[in-house]
Amino acid sequence: MEKQLEKIIRRVQKPGRYSGGEWNTVCKDWQSTYIKMAFAFPDVYEVGMSHLGLQILYGIVNGREDALLERVFAPWPDMEQQMRNTGLPLFSLESRRPLREFDIIGFTLQYELSFSNILNMLDLAGIPLRSADRAGGDYPMIVAGGPCAFNPEPMAEFIDVFAIGEGEELLNDLLDAYLASRRSSEGRQDLLIRLAGIDGIYVPALYRVEYNNLGHINTVTSVCEGVPAQVQKRFVADVDAAFFPTHMVVPAIEAVHDRAMLEVQRGCTRGCRFCQAGVIYRPVREKEPEILLRHADELLGSTGWGEISLTSLSTSDYSRVTPLVNELIKRHGSAGVNVSLPSLRVDAFSVDLAKEVQKVRRSSLTFAPEAGTQRLRDVINKGVTEDNLIAAVDAAFSAGWHSIKLYFMIGLPTETDEDLHGIANLARKVLDRGRKLVRVKGRLKVTVSVSSFVPKSHTSFQWEPQNSIAELKRKQALLRELLRGRGLVFKWHDPEGSFLEAVLSRGDRRLAGAIEAAWRNGARFDGWSEFFDINKWLMAFTSTGIDPDWYAYHRYHYDDALPWDHISSGVSKKFLMREHLCSLEGATTPDCRSGRCHGCGLCVSLEAKPYLAGGEAIASLSDTVQ
Amino acid sequence: MPRYRIQYSKRGPASYISHLDLVRTLERAFRRAGLPIAYSEGFNPHPRFSFAAPLPVGVEGLAEVLDVEMQVSVDHRDLAERLNGALPPGLAVLDVTVVSDNTPAPMAELNMAGYIVHLDEDDLPGPLPAGAVQDFLIEEHIEVTRKGRDGREKIRDIRPGILKLDVLSQVNGLTMQLELQTGSTLNVRPEDVVEVFFRHAGMAVDKADLQIIRTRLF
Repeated sequence: MEKQLEKIIRRVQKPGRYSGGEWNTVCKDWQSTYIKMAFAFPDVYEVGMSHLGLQILYGIVNGREDALLERVFAPWPDMEQQMRNTGLPLFSLESRRPLREFDIIGFTLQYELSFSNILNMLDLAGIPLRSADRAGGDYPMIVAGGPCAFNPEPMAEFIDVFAIGEGEELLNDLLDAYLASRRSSEGRQDLLIRLAGIDGIYVPALYRVEYNNLGHINTVTSVCEGVPAQVQKRFVADVDAAFFPTHMVVPAIEAVHDRAMLEVQRGCTRGCRFCQAGVIYRPVREKEPEILLRHADELLGSTGWGEISLTSLSTSDYSRVTPLVNELIKRHGSAGVNVSLPSLRVDAFSVDLAKEVQKVRRSSLTFAPEAGTQRLRDVINKGVTEDNLIAAVDAAFSAGWHSIKLYFMIGLPTETDEDLHGIANLARKVLDRGRKLVRVKGRLKVTVSVSSFVPKSHTSFQWEPQNSIAELKRKQALLRELLRGRGLVFKWHDPEGSFLEAVLSRGDRRLAGAIEAAWRNGARFDGWSEFFDINKWLMAFTSTGIDPDWYAYHRYHYDDALPWDHISSGVSKKFLMREHLCSLEGATTPDCRSGRCHGCGLCVSLEAKPYLAGGEAIASLSDTVQ
Repeated sequence: MPRYRIQYSKRGPASYISHLDLVRTLERAFRRAGLPIAYSEGFNPHPRFSFAAPLPVGVEGLAEVLDVEMQVSVDHRDLAERLNGALPPGLAVLDVTVVSDNTPAPMAELNMAGYIVHLDEDDLPGPLPAGAVQDFLIEEHIEVTRKGRDGREKIRDIRPGILKLDVLSQVNGLTMQLELQTGSTLNVRPEDVVEVFFRHAGMAVDKADLQIIRTRLF
C-alpha cells in the first residue's frame, strides 16, 4: 500500500492533501488500542482542516487510552481517479490504513451539498453504501453528526447512527457504549439498540416512517422498546469545563482558514428567523475570559500560528470581547500574532473592535444586513437598522477601510421587488458615505453579495417554500441592473445549488435512491461550482420517481408532520409557529440577551440556561408557552 | 541583524510540502521554538528567509540550504536543537552556522545541485542500450520544451547545465546520478533530463514514476 500510495501521490495536483505527517498529529499504536475510529470530512483537505469540530473530536478521542481517531478527507477528483485506476482503497492520513479496518467511521454533515461525497468516500473505502447492505458483514459502523444531522432523514439509509447536537460528551458516551457492547460480544443489532438508548443518539433503522394517502409523512415511530419516540439534542452545559483542543493539528498545506481558532462562546441569542445555527446551538454559553486567555497561550505556543481567530456565531456579542481582544494583543501582539474577528455585527462598536485588531487595513470589512428594507429585516428578525449600517460604514471608512462587502439574501418569505430596490438603495447610500469619507476615491468599492434563501429544518421558516429557480434568476438579473455603476460590484451564486440544498435540507427518507443515483451519475463536490452539475441530480430525481420541486416549493401546514419532527433541538414547534406568525406581521422578537424570555422552550425542555461570562443572568427562565 | 545558514533535510511526508507552504511551516516552527525571526518591512511583512533553490514537490532533499535573519543573536547549536524540536516529521536541521552580513545569499553562492534518480524495474521501458550515456552526453545541444508563465511554449538548450550524468546501478531498476545547474540563469530539472535521456535512447518514461532525491547543493 505504501509503495502504491507513493506512486499515485506523485501524480496528483496537491499530494500534501494525502501525505499526513502534520505537526501535532497523533499516531497511536494500532494493535493495542481497542477502538479505532476515523473522522471523515466529506470535503477536500483544505476545507476540512479549517473545521474546529474536527480538532475538538480529534483531541477528545485521542485523549482516551482506549481509542484512537485518525483523519480522512474527500479525495479531490484527480486523486479519486488515481485510486480507482489502481484499486487503492480510501485510507486514513495517520496510519495510512484502509478505512475498512476501522471500527467506526464518523462523518460530519456540515452542508447538504457534501452528501454525494459521503457516498463516494464509502464506495472508495469498499464499504456498501446502505446500512442494510452492511448488516451481514464485518464493516465499520457509520456514524454522522453535525448541523445537517438535525434533519437526518435524507441520509437515513446510509448512516447507522446519527449523533444529534454537540459532540464533546456524546462521543464519549458512544465510545463507552461501543466498548461495553464489544466486551459482552453483542452483535450489530444489539449494539444499535444499546446506542439508541443514549441521549442524542438516533438510529434510523429503529424507526418506521408511515405515509398517508397524499404521500406525506403520517407518523414516525420507534420500532423497539427503549428507543425514544423523539431524540433530544445533546449540548454541553458547562463550556468552560468542556474539552478544548489547545494542540490543534497544523495543516501542511494552506487551509481555507489557516489560523488558531479560539471559540469564545457557543450559541447565538439574536433569533434571526432563517438561521438554523441560531436554533440548534442554543442556549448561548459564553466562556470566561481567563480560560480563553489560557487556551490562547497554549494554542499559540503549541501550533506556532501567527493569527488567532475569535470564532462563534456573532463574535461581537460576546460580552467580554473588548477586554479579551485587548489582553490578547497585549500578550501576543509583540510576537507578531494577529487577532481576527470573522463574524461582526452591523454596528460602530464592531468596527471599533476591528480597528483595534487590524493594524494594517488590508482587507475589506463585511457586514450582513441580509435584507434591503426595514420591513423585510423585521420579517426575518434581523435586528439591524439602516442607521446601524450607516454608523458602521461611517466608522469603517473613517478608520481607513475603503472596501465594504454587504451580504444579502434574496427569495426570503414576503419579499417583493421593493425589497430588492432596497438592497440597491442601501448599497448606494453606503457608496455615498464612502465618497464623503474615503480619501482615495478611486479605491472605494462596495460589493453586494447575494445568496438565495433556503428553508431549513428547525427554523421559523421551515414551513416556507423556496422561490423557484426562474424567480431567483429574475431577481438576480434585476439586482444586476440596479447595481451597475462605478464603485459597485455585484456577486451572486447560481440558484440551482440552493435549490438542491432546499430539497435535501427538507427532505425525507425517500430521497435515498435519488442521492445514490446522483452519485452514480457522477455527482461529487456539489458545493464547488466547477464540479456541480444540476443535471446529474435532475436525472437522478427522474429515474427514481422523486419530484424535487415538491420538496423545495411545498408549503407545509402547521399541523403537517415534518420529516424531522422526531428530532428535537429543544426549541418548541409552538414557538417556531408563533415566530413564523410574527414574521408575517413584521413583528420582531428581541434578543434573548435583552433579559426578556420569549419562551422558545429550550431552557425548560433541556434544563438549560443561557450563560454569560462572569455568571450574569440574562433571561428569566419562566417559560410562557409550554 | 544576525544571520544564520541552516542546512536541513526535507524527506518523507515533508517532501510533499510545496515551497510556499514550506515558508509557512518554517515560520511556525520558529515560533513554536520561541526563536524570533526578522520580518521584512511594509504592509505585508514576510519572514526574512533566503533559500538556495526551491525544491519541487515530491523531491526529497538531503542537504538543503536556507539563510534566516533573526531579531536577536542565538547560539547556533541552540538554534539547531530548538528548531529540531519544533519541526514536523520529515524536516530536520543538520547544521547551523553564523554567516556574516557580507556573505552572498545562498542562491548566489550555490548554483549546482546533485541528484539521485531511481526508476523501479516495473516502470523501466527496457534495458538501456550500451553506450546510451556517452551517446547522450556527446550531444552539443539538448533541447527541452516547457510552458512559460505566459502559457507559451519555450524551447531551451539544457546541455550546458548538465554537468554529470551517470548510471549508478541497474539492479532492481535503474539508479542514476546527476549534477545539474540550478538558479535563475539556467535551471535544469532532473525529470526533464531523465525524460530526454530516455527519449534519446529511443524509449519513453513517465516523469511521475521517477523517485528523485537532491543530495546536495554546491
